[in-house]
Amino acid sequence: MSTGTTPSLTEETSSVVSPDLPWVTIVWNDPVNLMSYVSHVFRTYFGFPREEAERLMLLVHHEGRAVVATGPREEMERHTEAMHEYGLWATVAKAGDG
Amino acid sequence: MRVSRSGDAIVLEFADGESGVLRSLVDQYLEVVGGEAGTDPAHARLFPVAYRDDDTAAEEFSRYTRSGLIDRKAANAAQVSLALDEETVRLAPAEAVRWLPVLTDLRLVIADRLDIRADDDEVPDTPAGEVYTWLGHLQESILVLLEEP
Repeated sequence: MSTGTTPSLTEETSSVVSPDLPWVTIVWNDPVNLMSYVSHVFRTYFGFPREEAERLMLLVHHEGRAVVATGPREEMERHTEAMHEYGLWATVAKAGDG
Repeated sequence: MRVSRSGDAIVLEFADGESGVLRSLVDQYLEVVGGEAGTDPAHARLFPVAYRDDDTAAEEFSRYTRSGLIDRKAANAAQVSLALDEETVRLAPAEAVRWLPVLTDLRLVIADRLDIRADDDEVPDTPAGEVYTWLGHLQESILVLLEEP
C-alpha cells in the first residue's frame, strides 16, 4: 500500500516505537467474483487509481489475498464491512499476523 | 438478453422468461439474507467471518455489523426486483452500480449450491450452472458499459 508522505523525524524521536501495531484489511481470493468487478470495487470504494486497483486485484487472484488497507482497527473493520457489502471476502488482522 | 447504453443510462432488454428467473432468484436471495445464520450454508458466503483467528472478535464484528449489512443488501435487492417490473429496464449509472453487488451475491449463493469453492472448480452443465454464468455475463456487461466514456 502506498502510505503517503513519511513524517520527518528528529534524531531524538526517531527511536520512539509506536505502541500499537497497525491493523490491516485483507481481501481473499474467491472463485466467484469477476476480476473486473474486484478491480471496480477497489477503484470506487478506496479511490485507487486504475493501475493500483488492477495490481491489488491481480495480487488477490494470484497470491490468494492482498492487504488493501492499513491503519487503526476501527477503520479496518469499516473497510471489511464495506467489502462484505460488495460481496468480497475480507478479514481484519493485526499487521504482520495476516 | 441485450445490454446497451443509451446516453448515460444502461438498458437491459431481457429475453422471454429471463427477468422472471432473475426476480425469483432475488426473492430466494432475500430469504437467505434475512434468514438466521446457520440455517443456510450460503449465509456464510454473504457474511464472511471477519477475524480468522479470533472467534470473540469475529462474533463481536458480526454483532455490530450484521443488521446494517442485511438492510443494505436487502435494499439493493429490492431495487433490482422493483426494476424488473418493466420488460425493458433503464438504469441510471447510480442505479446500475447498485445491481453489481446483488449480482455478485446471487452468484455467491448459487456457487454454494453448485459446490464451486475453488478457482478451478468447473461450472456444471446444468440449468443452475447456466444461470450462474448468465449472471456473470450480465454483471460484466453492466461494468463494461458503465466504464465507457
